[in-house]
Amino acid sequence: MKYAYYPGCSLEATAKEYDMSVKEVFKALGVELKEIEDWNCCGASAAYSIDHLLSLSLAARNLALAEKENMDILAPCPECYLREWETSDSIKMDRELLDKMNKALEGTGLKVKGSIDVKHPLDVIVNDIGIEKLAEKVVNSLNGLKVAPYYGCVIVRPPRNKRFDSPERPTSMDRIIEAVGATVAPFQHKVKCCGGALMMANEGVQMKLSREILLDAKENADCIITACPLCHMALDARQMYIEKEYNEKIEVPVLYFTQLIGLALGITPKKLGLDKNFVPTKKIINSVKLASK
Amino acid sequence: MEQIIRLKDCDPNFVYEVEEAGGENVHLCFQCGTCSAGCPTVYTMDYTPRQIMRMVTLGIKDKVLNSETIWVCASCYTCQTRCPRGVEITNVMGALKSIAIREGVRAANEKGPAFYNSFVEIALSYGRMFEPLLMLKFAQKSEGSLSGTLKHLLRHASLGMELTKKGKIALMPHKIKGREHMKKIIENIRKIEEEEK
Ligand code: SF4
Ligand code: SF4
Repeated sequence: MKYAYYPGCSLEATAKEYDMSVKEVFKALGVELKEIEDWNCCGASAAYSIDHLLSLSLAARNLALAEKENMDILAPCPECYLREWETSDSIKMDRELLDKMNKALEGTGLKVKGSIDVKHPLDVIVNDIGIEKLAEKVVNSLNGLKVAPYYGCVIVRPPRNKRFDSPERPTSMDRIIEAVGATVAPFQHKVKCCGGALMMANEGVQMKLSREILLDAKENADCIITACPLCHMALDARQMYIEKEYNEKIEVPVLYFTQLIGLALGITPKKLGLDKNFVPTKKIINSVKLASK
Repeated sequence: MEQIIRLKDCDPNFVYEVEEAGGENVHLCFQCGTCSAGCPTVYTMDYTPRQIMRMVTLGIKDKVLNSETIWVCASCYTCQTRCPRGVEITNVMGALKSIAIREGVRAANEKGPAFYNSFVEIALSYGRMFEPLLMLKFAQKSEGSLSGTLKHLLRHASLGMELTKKGKIALMPHKIKGREHMKKIIENIRKIEEEEK
């Protein structure tokens, strides 16, 4: 199994630990990742909100680059994933749009055909590699650890054809938590919005929405796992701001789901970038050690 | 609440303009309110998503483009997921933002357009995001004055420092080799959009 890796801008910077842990986990699971050469920013929700055609075309350039290698794309950032997937799915169904994309790429020497798929690591681990295979590779059981699976918005929404999980009641992260021997904590806010997209333009709204998610998790869970750099920023890096604003202690560690898997696969915390999360992850790392004895 | 809608203030083509910009099926809305009921930011909107859909159909362009609503929409797709009529509500909000930006409407909350514009400018010139510049541009655009910009930057300085300490911010931008491609793409898109008019 081999994928064209599209890290996206966040994974090169603020979500470094996501990049590190995705690479480590996929290596351990025997999947090869080859970074798309000279990929460009997908424009995220910004390009999308300025010009729909621009958003599609930015994604199309990356699709064209990956098509040259004839590999499906693996995109860990849900926003990149949505943009690339949406374009890829749309040009497959809409000949006219495909022509338009090639018009947009004119003069770049690139052509897009709509011949590859765009996948999220959650999908690949649960459905392509398989949850049983993951469970087989577990060397540290995370027994006793209570984990709140936070899916956020755009991994499972909007619900168009062929999405890999339910938009209202997704289960892929839950199944991963069980496969690594941990417990899925009761958690109402699985798919509630964290307001991450408003982090810059409307801080107050983001803090309110993120706080509700954090407080829910605090009730029943030892940590939250997420699959999104923006959610992670909203819940982890900005947790200290929320604590200050509301004058309370929250202290809920927020891990990328690949960091959790990595711990179970026996990969060192350092290699998983667990020192890069804002809320200390020591308690989680320690509980893993105890479980493995 | 009594509301008077004057025909002369309505633009019957607005709904098509919105659909063209990516927000489809607005005309199918039957005003059930499911979208507003599940919206996480409705508490801070001036018009609910349901109201916006109706206003778009009626062509009350001015009020829609000047609304707070389109800028506090968090693009979470909850509404679009649940709409029994297949209205692409989130995409409609996105389309409305793009029309407002294109027409230079002074937004109720100027931070929204400031953020999107800063982001896209960087993405298009480098081919990649560069967070320190994004912070700077956003501060300049949303604050306007130098003192406002400095205050804004100071307020976010601690997070920036922490990110730098953890090696989570690049100190120099990564510029892709295909920057010419980005220019070409923008030119081509302008041409396509001209032709389509
Ligand atoms: S959920 Fe759909 S049909 Fe119902 S009010 Fe909202 S847009 Fe209209
Ligand atoms: S996409 Fe926007 S309008 Fe729809 S539910 Fe989310 S925040 Fe509300």
